[in-house]
Amino acid sequence: MEIVQPAMAGTLESSDCQVTVEPGNNGIEFNLESVVINQFGNQIKKVVMETLKNMEVSQVKISIVDKGALDCTIKARVEGALFRSVGQFDHLPWGGAVR
Amino acid sequence: MLEGRPLQGRALEELKIFLASQDLNYDEGIEYSACILDDDFKIIAAGSVEENVLKCIAVDPHHLGEGLSGSVVSQLIQYEFEHGRSRLVLYTKPKNEEMFKSLGFYTVFQTKSVLFMENEKQGFEKFIQAIQEITPIDAKDYGRIVGAIVANCNPFTMGHRYLIEEALKQCDYLHVFVLSDKRTFYGAEDRYQMVLKGTEDLNRVIVHQASDYMVSAATFPTYYLKEKAFANKANCEFDLEMFAEIIAPPLKIARRFVGTEPICRVTGSYNTAMKQILPEYGIEVIEIERKIQGDEVISASRVREAVKNGRFQDAERLVPETTWRYLTQKS
Repeated sequence: MEIVQPAMAGTLESSDCQVTVEPGNNGIEFNLESVVINQFGNQIKKVVMETLKNMEVSQVKISIVDKGALDCTIKARVEGALFRSVGQFDHLPWGGAVR
Repeated sequence: MLEGRPLQGRALEELKIFLASQDLNYDEGIEYSACILDDDFKIIAAGSVEENVLKCIAVDPHHLGEGLSGSVVSQLIQYEFEHGRSRLVLYTKPKNEEMFKSLGFYTVFQTKSVLFMENEKQGFEKFIQAIQEITPIDAKDYGRIVGAIVANCNPFTMGHRYLIEEALKQCDYLHVFVLSDKRTFYGAEDRYQMVLKGTEDLNRVIVHQASDYMVSAATFPTYYLKEKAFANKANCEFDLEMFAEIIAPPLKIARRFVGTEPICRVTGSYNTAMKQILPEYGIEVIEIERKIQGDEVISASRVREAVKNGRFQDAERLVPETTWRYLTQKS
């Protein structure tokens, strides 16, 4: 699926993360800020990349400000931001791309 | 969470009292505010938004360390995205740098009293890079004199055109930065297009949109400084120091050109500050006498006045043909 407009999901509260996505034309541009970047930076990146792959997103600027979110939270927030970026608010196909 | 677009009545009064207790003024241009209340419905944290600027963010000192700033800023960012704004900036005190860093903001520039941050990593570096990409390689040669003009061009008049032509006599290449303030009579994109079209025949002129990195008096917040007069001065200084320290050096700008300002006092004092500050950084400020038509100087405000009053012929005489064509095609 293709990013249409900038969108965000999540908050900056503890155990959550704020995900923003924007249209990109340089593949996946990934930016991460995290309080636990030294411990879990790679794991967070892995979850994000997997989620993007499942959603069939290949061109995106994605930026994450993480406040210690669990993998499932990160996944849900990334999906939420992607759905919002294509203007899909009902019948969300969680875990899959919007068609 | 108490929200307002903007807050009204008693809630607004309470927010103003809360901000005053934190040494902040409520900014009149605010379009949205979010506040967190305690069990007694007293405000303990608040933040506001104007355009893509987050402002008046404060947390009650008794409630620090509870993550309230994160909740407030999250709410503000959510509002901004809902309104299609993804590039956000904020001005704050330097001591707040760590806090905003942890909320996903990056420092662009800071002085002793003001810290300017944006939410895009290396946003400023990308801005400079984009300028360098459209600047002819020849302009980077040793010995080339590069000049700059910063203007609103609201709209682009014969006066601007004259200023650019005169400036070109005194430099090899000229960067023209069109301010990106959105609260102008003509929109930022329209003004940029007018300047592009109006200078198409001048190949040593390079036109840019100033984005958020050059501040007009209007976009600049005065809220965190108590004295308005002092605030205006500090604003000018901040904008000029930023220009001199991080914008001019990578572009090798050695001269800044400016029209004399006989009318507007704000611009007048800005120009005075410019003549003081920029030479300290080795940037020469050259004032160019404004072009006169009839018995008055040509100014964009004169054009706007004429347009508002339906005196279109008067307006047409003050702007280049390219501007007039652009404006008539638009409407």
